[in-house]
Amino acid sequence: MTFQHKMAAHCESGTVTALLNHAGLSISEPLVFGISAGIFFGYFESKKFPFPTFVVRNRPGQIRTGVAKRIGVNFKEQRFRSTEKGEHALDSLLAAGNPVACQTDFFYMNYLPNHVRVHINVHFITVVEKRGGVYVVSDCYSPTLAELDRDSLVKARFAGGSFSPRGFIFYPVSIPGSIDYRKAIWSGIRSAAFNMVKLPIPFIGVKGIRLFAKKVVDWPKLARDVDHLSHEIMKINIFLEDQGTGGAGFRFMYATFLREASELLNDPDLLEMSKRIMEIGDRWREISLFAARIGKRRDLGSDRLGELGAMINARADDEELFFRDLLKLGKSKK
Amino acid sequence: MTNNGLKDEIKNLIMEALNIDDVNPEDVGDDDSLFGEGNVLGLDSIDALEIVMALQEKYGVRIDDKNQSRFILKSISTIAEFIEKNRTK
Repeated sequence: MTFQHKMAAHCESGTVTALLNHAGLSISEPLVFGISAGIFFGYFESKKFPFPTFVVRNRPGQIRTGVAKRIGVNFKEQRFRSTEKGEHALDSLLAAGNPVACQTDFFYMNYLPNHVRVHINVHFITVVEKRGGVYVVSDCYSPTLAELDRDSLVKARFAGGSFSPRGFIFYPVSIPGSIDYRKAIWSGIRSAAFNMVKLPIPFIGVKGIRLFAKKVVDWPKLARDVDHLSHEIMKINIFLEDQGTGGAGFRFMYATFLREASELLNDPDLLEMSKRIMEIGDRWREISLFAARIGKRRDLGSDRLGELGAMINARADDEELFFRDLLKLGKSKK
Repeated sequence: MTNNGLKDEIKNLIMEALNIDDVNPEDVGDDDSLFGEGNVLGLDSIDALEIVMALQEKYGVRIDDKNQSRFILKSISTIAEFIEKNRTK
């Protein structure tokens, strides 16, 4: 069967969706994201990181494992110590006509413009086939199927550093005949809402958003100079809007998930929740823009950072209410 | 509103949202590229987000992410086409 290339908002959810669609399961990217409990928040300060950072989705790999667990898909997964074995395994699968997802270093995706390519070891692509020495690649961020030379793909699959891919590949080997979407959707919802409001970890979920609000005011103490501070403040916009989040730190994609779930399960409560998180997403987008503006203008005095902190704290209030209600709803639908 | 009227309105909205006062809206061609090298307005990705939010406020259209916005915000014509199809205000 010919592989249908589609753009997607995010590389991991897009790649998992594309492989499931190719295997005959009709499912959308937002449903994959929501069922896997992809929505998240974490604020991290560690000696391992040069500067505090935050994430707005679950850990790389959990979209695949979460959706597999909840809908009963079985993915074959492999990592390799040897480059040769990793390359051989991929080529054999492609020769047998199986598209394969590969974890890569984004920097080597040389069919994308230079200015967007940075070293990030958790970029997922689907390799569709090998023609001569060139791989045909379906990348969610490329409008069409792309070609990638063999050397670049080997470098991308075996790049070093944190989250190093070690040649990781996966592909579905079995899809269940029937899927209990009601169970899968509510299980994903309960898991996401639990992570956001119940996990007793001070830097995760709503607690993490509050910590972010409190700490961002002190970022000037951690920055080398105003240029560095400006760069870090502008990264708030990049993390929320630019890195394949579907907009507003995945909140828009989660809203689409809840709307599609509402249609699938004929449940108007989910549509109401979809509207609420969409509005919260709009408010996150205001933070993106505010951070980008003050960073660009170097307008980074304590009053401005205080304003930014207050905006972030208001999102914590919104999300606390939202995810508590969602969890309550999830428990009532068991 | 005619398509040309809408295009003029979008040009004025962009000028206003971005506080651009050194370019006349008439100098922006309907099919001129708004981003990238050689564009008359010299816009960047932060400007794109400003435009996205201004369009949402005025026309009630939501542009979720960059994958969408890079096609929609190509030119005044592509924005007008998107607004005509999706406006709720």
